[in-house]
Amino acid sequence: MTTQFDKVYHGLSSQAGKFRVASSGMAWKGENDEDVTLVPSDQIKWAQWLRVARGFQLRVGMKGRREVFDGFERDDHDKLAALLKQHFSVTLEPQEVSVKGWNWGLTDFKGDDLAFLVSNKTSFELPLHQVANTNIAGRTEVSLEFSAPSSSKKPSKSAPDEMVEIRFFVPGQSTRARGSDA
Amino acid sequence: SGTGKEGKGWKRFQSYKGEVGLPKEVESLRIFVDRKAQTVILPMNGFAVPFHINTIKNVSKNDEGEFTYLRVNFQTPGQLAGKKEDTPFEDPDATFVRSVTYRSADGHRFDSISKQITDLKKEVNKREQQKKELAD
Repeated sequence: MTTQFDKVYHGLSSQAGKFRVASSGMAWKGENDEDVTLVPSDQIKWAQWLRVARGFQLRVGMKGRREVFDGFERDDHDKLAALLKQHFSVTLEPQEVSVKGWNWGLTDFKGDDLAFLVSNKTSFELPLHQVANTNIAGRTEVSLEFSAPSSSKKPSKSAPDEMVEIRFFVPGQSTRARGSDA
Repeated sequence: SGTGKEGKGWKRFQSYKGEVGLPKEVESLRIFVDRKAQTVILPMNGFAVPFHINTIKNVSKNDEGEFTYLRVNFQTPGQLAGKKEDTPFEDPDATFVRSVTYRSADGHRFDSISKQITDLKKEVNKREQQKKELAD
């Protein structure tokens, strides 16, 4: 038996598609695309559930890679958790995200991602393989520039806002000693 | 973790209590100014990341060819060389997001976003000033 979820996105795709779960695995197919993204059952190691911009995200970990699917609804959780348990004996683990609105926290490397944590909850994660350039200024500032995958396309006014650079202030030991008057 | 570390005069603020509070508009993967929550929500790699207006210093905008660039600058320690900080910080030793830059082909929208953030900042500053005057 196959269960289908509609209006699901594969990663940051702008195209919505259908997401299917069966005992053989999971599959996503875009509305205007013949290509199918497959997640075979024998490769599934873990699954996470977290709030993102487009609803909720299902993150599936496999050996050496992972796939993310956005666009699930809050109410899909129980159904999806039951399916993952039943078909793949995997627990859908909820990951809490920070919505505190703070710009300070900790950075943490998680595989291919740089995570920014606020009060031990994920605020955002950045894909390091998309970093085109990094810069360190004055020992306390680190900047990451992102390559624009859409730069080859004609600019579109309806496109999502594209993040091109982020700068972090990382107080080093030297600044701490200098700034400390305690 | 803030015990004993919390900067003098730092007042706690928070955008949302939980993810349920995020507005519907974040789905568009575009910058959204939530005036009610005094918050700017930035799309970052599929996440909707709120930043309270108190964390924002200013915004700058410039046009380059077909694109408009919008840069959001945040309050961080170490920005005023040789001067005692005006803004206290909860944890000055943390890692801070200092700036995030976006680009869009829709310059008019970035004009509007830039204005909304600047106006919200002014509004909040004005209110703070009034509170201070009343306290004096």
